[in-house]
Amino acid sequence: MSESEPAETEEPVLRVEDARKTFGGLVATDDATFEVERGTITGMIGPNGAGKSTLFNLISGFYGTDGGRINVNGTDVTGLDPYEIANHGLIRTFQTPRKLEGMTVREAMLVGPQNQPGESFVKLFTSPGEVAAAEEQNLEDAQQILEEFEIDHLATQPATQISGGQLKLVELARAMLADPEILLLDEPVAGVNPTLANDLREQIKRLNEQGTTFLIIEHDMDFIMNLADPIIVLNQGSVLTSGSPDEVRNDERVINAYLGGGDV
Amino acid sequence: MEVPKRFQAGWEGMSQVERSVAATLLGLVFVLFLAVIGGVLTPAYFVFLLGLGGMYALLSLGLNAQWGFTGLINFSVAAFFGIGAYGTALMTADNSPIAGGFSPITGLIVALIVTAVIAVLIGIPTLSLRDDYLAIATLGLAEVVRLIALNQDSWTNGSAGVRGIPPFFDGWPILDGLPRALPGFRIELVPGSPLFLETPFYTAMLNLLIVGTFIGITYFALRRAHRAPWGRLLRTIRADEDLAKALGKNTYWYKMQAFVLGCLVMALAGVFYAHLNRYVAPGTLDPITTFYVWVAVMLGGSGSNRGALLGGFVIVAIREGTRAIDFGALPLEAAPLRLLVIGLLIILVMRFRPQGILPPQRELIWPGVVDDAPSQPDKAVRDTRGANNE
Repeated sequence: MSESEPAETEEPVLRVEDARKTFGGLVATDDATFEVERGTITGMIGPNGAGKSTLFNLISGFYGTDGGRINVNGTDVTGLDPYEIANHGLIRTFQTPRKLEGMTVREAMLVGPQNQPGESFVKLFTSPGEVAAAEEQNLEDAQQILEEFEIDHLATQPATQISGGQLKLVELARAMLADPEILLLDEPVAGVNPTLANDLREQIKRLNEQGTTFLIIEHDMDFIMNLADPIIVLNQGSVLTSGSPDEVRNDERVINAYLGGGDV
Repeated sequence: MEVPKRFQAGWEGMSQVERSVAATLLGLVFVLFLAVIGGVLTPAYFVFLLGLGGMYALLSLGLNAQWGFTGLINFSVAAFFGIGAYGTALMTADNSPIAGGFSPITGLIVALIVTAVIAVLIGIPTLSLRDDYLAIATLGLAEVVRLIALNQDSWTNGSAGVRGIPPFFDGWPILDGLPRALPGFRIELVPGSPLFLETPFYTAMLNLLIVGTFIGITYFALRRAHRAPWGRLLRTIRADEDLAKALGKNTYWYKMQAFVLGCLVMALAGVFYAHLNRYVAPGTLDPITTFYVWVAVMLGGSGSNRGALLGGFVIVAIREGTRAIDFGALPLEAAPLRLLVIGLLIILVMRFRPQGILPPQRELIWPGVVDDAPSQPDKAVRDTRGANNE
């Protein structure tokens, strides 16, 4: 959705330097360093416990770092709150889709847009016209995105009563309403049937062509290898290697990490 | 012809439950009306009870903004009610140990400011933590406020309480002396039980006007805010705070707004109470009020403003209704059974209608923006499911 390209296009949209997180004696993320280039779909894979989700939580501010720096869009966001990082253009989704009780799908969609005038209690009473105009615009955008995702028939359904796969689509659609520079998806196709997974892949590709950068954690190798380039491989909390799907697939260290092989 | 048509349209637009509630309320009003005519209930007391119901409705509206909208657990309802009551009492009363003699409007403003300051102070450390910490902190606050009111004689007169609080319209043109100036009536509709419409009745009517105004303003503001993006954000926080954060919303700031707003509404109820009762004592701060208000909100339907209004009146109906029950020869008193009845009621509601009597039903998008909002999401679901099956 972002048509306006920032001035410094060379600047990577996300840069993580020596990010470190420990839980007591356990080092979950051990000096991870990588960059996500603007306009890419970057994949992130690694065996269970490699620290992928921890890294996502570090980047999005849900965990405080124990060391290292995180840079979004040329701004140092280390130590900022999740909402501040989101305001810098980094939006994330969650591994288990979050349900919004008591809302219809389109109401749940309308939480996405940033800086709505109607979110100010005072403006509700001082400038109701502005609030109504913004609400109308947001609703139109929401409807359009739902149509693009081919789930507009769900608009007035309760958000809690749609299938898990549809929920993932709604989550992605809502994240797009926030107009992110970079979107972090945590296992977007876990538990989603193959048809819907294909839909999701096409949607992600389409959004990427329209200018959104993606960083995607995924265990489904078929899915991620056919979507992302480059792919970053995490193992034991740090970056093992990164490269094109083919390079990663044929890298012996990667195979060893997954199969628990011996010496590297 | 226009009015019955609109009434009919309104009736047809209601759900089954709304109709039953409306019918029950109409029936109840009719019974009470008969009781007044029959001389069982004096008009002045009847209007006083309505005012009391309005006070509980206000408290419920306040808690609904905190718990129903945002999911904040506040066990300090009685404390904020009391802060409102003591705030205005200490500013206006004759024997106030602090200020005294100010106009009730000054009392109202001071009470609201003090409430806001205390709400912010308790919110700062707790609202960034998990829900339960606010619950624990407010539980403590309620006790602290009550004990200060009881023991800090130099501020609050201690257990003697604050006396000589003027009526709310004290010093106003016209309204001040109105109850005494109006002519008294004695109406005898049923022989042997005359109705007196005299000064106490007019005073009660004025009080009803005050609480009605408070409720009107609060209800309008909360209803509007609830269906705006502001309310949607609070509902997102209630459902999943992490999601709201991930979408760039400063949840701490919005929780603070909801908390302070709710506390202000509770204090408003306290201000009304002080000028209604004209006397405030530490008993005002008893935690039982908190309990009643929680029951009212759960009964009415968490998150529903209409539900909160209904819940407030139901609580007063039970509280005062049990006074009238007479078991005759049985060695039983009704008043002590009150809590039992309320406990039973809440168990029944939770078992058979956990969403409350009047839960929020309609899609909440800024009015006028959508015209095809389904009045009952449940219905839309059934329809679509049916369509899928075909």
